[in-house]
Amino acid sequence: MNMQEHDFATAPVQIKELADLVRFSLRVRPEHRADMAAALAMELPQKVGDRAGFATGETLCLGPDEWLILTTEPAALVDAAREAYARLPHSLTEISDREITLRLTGPQVLDLLATGCPRDIEALAEGRAVRTVFDSATVVLWRDGPAEFRMDIWRSFAPHVRSLLAQAEAELIAGL
Amino acid sequence: MNRYRIPGRGRVDHDAPVSFTFDGKSYQGLRGDTVASALLANGVHLMGRSFKYHRPRGAVTAGSEEPNALIGTSRGPGRFEPNTRATMQELRQGLVTESQNKWPRLSFDIGAVNDRAYMLFSAGFYYKTFMWPRSFWDKVYEPFIRAAAGLGKSPSEEDPDTYASRYLHTDVLVVGAGPAGIAAAHSAALAGARVVLVDENSEMGGSILSDPSVRVDKAGSWTWLASRLAELRALGVRMMTRTTAIGYYHQNMVALCERLTDHLDDLPQDAPRERMWRVRAQQVILAQGALEKPLVFDGNDRPGVMLAGAAQTYLNRYGVRVGDNVAVLTSHDSAWYAAFDLADAGSRIAAIIDTRDDLRADLANAAATRGIRVLKGHTATGTKGRLRIASVRVNPVAGGRVGKPAKIACDALLMSGGWTPSLHLFSHTKGSLAWDADSKTFLPDHKTEACQIAGAGRGLWGYEAALVDGNAAGMAAVKAMGLTISEGRFEVEGDRPGTGSSQKELPTDRSAGKAKAFVDFQNDVTAKDLRLAVREGMRSIEHVKRYTTNGMATDQGKMSNINGLMIAADALGKEPPQVGLTTFRPPYTPTSFGAFAGYMRGETFQLTRKTPIDGWAEAHGAAFEPVAQWRRAWYFPQPGEDMHAAVARECRATRASVGIFDASTLGKIEVAGPDAVEFMNRMYTNPWTKLGIGRCRYGLLLGEDGFIRDDGVIGRMSPDLFHVTTTTGGAARVLNMMEDYLQTEWPDLNVWLTSTTEQWATIALNGPNARKVLEPLVDGLDLSGAAFPHMSVAECSVAGLPARLFRLSFTGELGFEINVPARHGLTLWNALMESGKAYDICPYGTETMHVLRAEKGYIIVGQDTDGTVTPQDAGLTWAIGKKKPDFVGKRSLERPDLVTSGRKQLVGLLTEDGSKLEEGAQIVLDPNQPKPMKMVGHVTSSYDCGTLGYPIAMAVIEGGHDRMGETVHIPMPGGIQRAKITSTVFYDPDGERLKA
Repeated sequence: MNMQEHDFATAPVQIKELADLVRFSLRVRPEHRADMAAALAMELPQKVGDRAGFATGETLCLGPDEWLILTTEPAALVDAAREAYARLPHSLTEISDREITLRLTGPQVLDLLATGCPRDIEALAEGRAVRTVFDSATVVLWRDGPAEFRMDIWRSFAPHVRSLLAQAEAELIAGL
Repeated sequence: MNRYRIPGRGRVDHDAPVSFTFDGKSYQGLRGDTVASALLANGVHLMGRSFKYHRPRGAVTAGSEEPNALIGTSRGPGRFEPNTRATMQELRQGLVTESQNKWPRLSFDIGAVNDRAYMLFSAGFYYKTFMWPRSFWDKVYEPFIRAAAGLGKSPSEEDPDTYASRYLHTDVLVVGAGPAGIAAAHSAALAGARVVLVDENSEMGGSILSDPSVRVDKAGSWTWLASRLAELRALGVRMMTRTTAIGYYHQNMVALCERLTDHLDDLPQDAPRERMWRVRAQQVILAQGALEKPLVFDGNDRPGVMLAGAAQTYLNRYGVRVGDNVAVLTSHDSAWYAAFDLADAGSRIAAIIDTRDDLRADLANAAATRGIRVLKGHTATGTKGRLRIASVRVNPVAGGRVGKPAKIACDALLMSGGWTPSLHLFSHTKGSLAWDADSKTFLPDHKTEACQIAGAGRGLWGYEAALVDGNAAGMAAVKAMGLTISEGRFEVEGDRPGTGSSQKELPTDRSAGKAKAFVDFQNDVTAKDLRLAVREGMRSIEHVKRYTTNGMATDQGKMSNINGLMIAADALGKEPPQVGLTTFRPPYTPTSFGAFAGYMRGETFQLTRKTPIDGWAEAHGAAFEPVAQWRRAWYFPQPGEDMHAAVARECRATRASVGIFDASTLGKIEVAGPDAVEFMNRMYTNPWTKLGIGRCRYGLLLGEDGFIRDDGVIGRMSPDLFHVTTTTGGAARVLNMMEDYLQTEWPDLNVWLTSTTEQWATIALNGPNARKVLEPLVDGLDLSGAAFPHMSVAECSVAGLPARLFRLSFTGELGFEINVPARHGLTLWNALMESGKAYDICPYGTETMHVLRAEKGYIIVGQDTDGTVTPQDAGLTWAIGKKKPDFVGKRSLERPDLVTSGRKQLVGLLTEDGSKLEEGAQIVLDPNQPKPMKMVGHVTSSYDCGTLGYPIAMAVIEGGHDRMGETVHIPMPGGIQRAKITSTVFYDPDGERLKA
């Protein structure tokens, strides 16, 4: 479905689908985390919800043994992982197409998110990301700034979530 | 100017007239009025008819607890709402309202004959009257009761409004913005807490709005209110008016319903009508105040009889005198102030009739100064007047004896039986209540949630007491969060403190059994009904309530519960706490269905998952069916085709040439790691060790109990990597089950599971020409039968896209399943459709898929199995790795009852007359046995539009595998069907077509 984009300054929120990103899910035992990070030349944060940047991407800890990796150099990542496999058993699965990512910004973006997300979003620190729900769809919510978020949605759930966001956006524009 | 409006008085805008209609007649009110205050300003007290006796009724309150003045409101098609409280509905330009429960008109109503027959319609009337004969219940009694029940008429059109929802987190939520709530919010906000303050009214202030003469901190109470609200705003307090806290749930979650547009003249575009807030607060402060109790005496429901506090509100907030000649009947000091305010505003006070013998000297003096006649130690024993009170009959009471009556003429009667703390939300938390013997009321006791209760809500009275208590509640709330704040001080002049005595029904010199002394106005329950209920054996207040319907109306007994309890307790000769109080439940006030539904209507009624090819299917006229959370293309009807014809065509086309099917919803799990094969051996019944790279196998998953849970084709991509597919509905369940075993039973295994259901779009090509359609698009793979035999898998390029290509079949035809990254799903679909043109490629949906697989006897887990079917029952013993040391469910398969004979086993059925069987139909062996017949199984799948030219069915039948060729019977409403037990494989039993 189409989302209206309001690029004028008064728009309460802006909702934009980001171009296709390259995502991997990395699963490795916690005791191999540090060595795996070194092998992949990236930081693998230890605390769930923490993020770290690296030369060609970004990592997010989603569980004690689960990381999400965004990268612009997938081939290098896959090669490095393959090299480390015998020493550091793990799984590295491409999930680029599993999700779509929306970028949500604007002065009323917290209200927009509060229409469907039961978390205290105001309390989500900038630079962190959490797995949560929007309405009944599982999403990963990234906070990039005071009024800047990304939302990863499993592809088949996206039409539902986007329809809800469109309704909420209309409501915010109505101002009531 | 309205006859009863005092120029310049109140908080309404005297320069802004607002027109509205009531029962077709035009009236004028002012901006800031409610429908009730505007009608009263016009001298209209008669606003409705009661539920049971159709007695004329007027507004008895000025708030959300109103039981009588329920009206229908409308603003055009679809926007009619019944049972709106006239006391809450704000006036808007052009508002159309109507009274309810009357015919032919409000002033003359036929149904009022019920009132004449009052003595017949006593408590339990329905139970006693409609008992016999039994056969009358369905046809006569129930339809009659249903037709007579209910207030107002339900809207019949779809509601064009939208409704919103939002979550809100805060440190402190304050419910009620009267003096206590404002003081609480103020101290909490000053301490630095995030505070939300809500009030159900259109403006904040609570009782202060009705008491402008009180002075707080050297300013008039309204000046103080304005500055304090401005201060709260400056402190960042989120202030929400027209917002009712309707329910208080676990862990300090409070639901708020905010009314956004009902008060607006014009509807802003896209604005929701109401918004439901789900608030999670660290601390909740309940400052809901108290509700005034009516007095119970004969004729206490006549229009013009209203609560004293309500009259005070109409006067001070709306500038409306409720009458010219007003009598006051009270057992509480508060009503005296209402009398004084009205007297000072120009109404004559006919008398203050107090049930008490000892009166406060200052009040008596103030009455004397105003020349008001005071009758102490009196009771009221009746009222007169047809559609409006004309007089009240009063008698002195001395030593328990009711003396001679006197008649006092009046055009309004204000009553006050004291005040009941509003404990509804506190009760939602299951907090316990304690009976306060002095004030004869229940007060909050043990708390189960992090909450404070302040002000009149815990029995305090007077402005200073409420302000001090609210301040303390705010301090206590922030202290619990580790914040501190010094105590606030309040200087109140002209405070209006008060006490009262609690009453059962007032004593009378007439027959108490004939008195129409109402306890519950909305449900027409009288004191007589309550006493009758006790006489007839009801002992618990819960039974009394259900027998009489006291407190069961939409006002949830806000005014009737305590009066009802006092009377029931008196009749039982017990103390009220021994009789008990009924439980309050959410919502606090009636709440629209729309507010509860929120965004869950239309397109977002419920979460619907869609595949990348969903848009194509929709554009090509697919009929859809829901499968788990997905919507899937069911069949693709061509013009003029019904489902039967479309499915038959799709089946034929696929078997004759080639069909294309969107299988993207299949669950997919990547099982990866050095121990992947060991994990697969333990999870699935099949052996996996020897499965070659690039080969697939049908996998069967059991539960620990040995029953079939899921199945799917599994490909081995590399030594350490399996591409597992699951059923559409089972995807999440299977992943959870696998994770559960991995984390709790086998944490030593180096294997990880990743859901890839949505990573891949999956398209199935089936039919003798499938290879011809696919081959031109494939790079890097020899598709020939020799190089890529049935049950193979390979990574290759299809239509230029990276793909995982399976050769498998769920139709019995030559088949392929092509997985490409989901974003390319539609691209691949279009490429295959283009390539398939030469072969009349036919898109088919889930129904054809079901038929084709049934013709081959392939089961669908959840349709042909029901959680009690073993692999043996389903004829799948070939899928069990007999040499494996263990797998989930293995030991259970040896349990005596799983290997016994006579278990229900999956078989095929063909009817003798070629008729179709009904799925779910029960099967018997001997149709002539007496009822109840012994049922030996049921039909699990049945289709009549496949390739064979006759219907086929699958069924589970006791000992079915040993009954091949036998005839069974299926009794149906239209007669008994006969069917022969067959193999489940109806088509191409040797599987030659797969090998193409």
